[in-house]
Amino acid sequence: MTAIPNAPRRARWAESVFPALFALSYVVGRVALDKLPLDPAWPRLVAALLPVAPAGLMLWKMINGVRRLDELHRRVHLEALVVAFPLAILLLMTLGLLELAIDLPTEDWSYRHVWVYLPFFYFVGLAIAWRRYK
Amino acid sequence: MKNRLRVLRAERQWSQAELAERVGVSRQAINAVETGKYDPSLPLAFKLAGVFGRTIEEVFQPDHDAGLSPNQESLERGEQ
Repeated sequence: MTAIPNAPRRARWAESVFPALFALSYVVGRVALDKLPLDPAWPRLVAALLPVAPAGLMLWKMINGVRRLDELHRRVHLEALVVAFPLAILLLMTLGLLELAIDLPTEDWSYRHVWVYLPFFYFVGLAIAWRRYK
Repeated sequence: MKNRLRVLRAERQWSQAELAERVGVSRQAINAVETGKYDPSLPLAFKLAGVFGRTIEEVFQPDHDAGLSPNQESLERGEQ
């Protein structure tokens, strides 16, 4: 998300802290998963789900941030979603249809690979929307 | 929609950032409105007109009588 104009210093601080926490928890989780034994499963579950809480906080801050945006920025983000959402559906539909025909390699097309395309589509949408208003 | 923002702003020697701060939006929003790339909402249009001490009609004008029905146009021209 673009920097929020006129955002208070505390909000700007949170904008950078939560992504950093997310990255840190992801790395810690991955390292723990490599070292933890398969049994018992619960420590592995905790390690795997470690990034979920910071990611949730990050998204919550982003949603709160949208309320502080002016109407042009809100329009731009809405138009970005209008581009990103159908593209995401198209990608998931294509993968689903391909799965009917062939076995997709899970090391390339699992959930943890495909989700990266969703924010990518959003940023593509942002670039398209900003081009219109700049 | 056409507008006289740039002229009114120049008369007061305000920068886009200054005007943006007065009406509580970003500088990009003011730029987009001035260049006609973005039509402001009614509340923002009222604020923009208000900071210049003008009415909305004095600041914003429709493009080529946009929004007027043929009947309204002929009424404005004084036709029966």
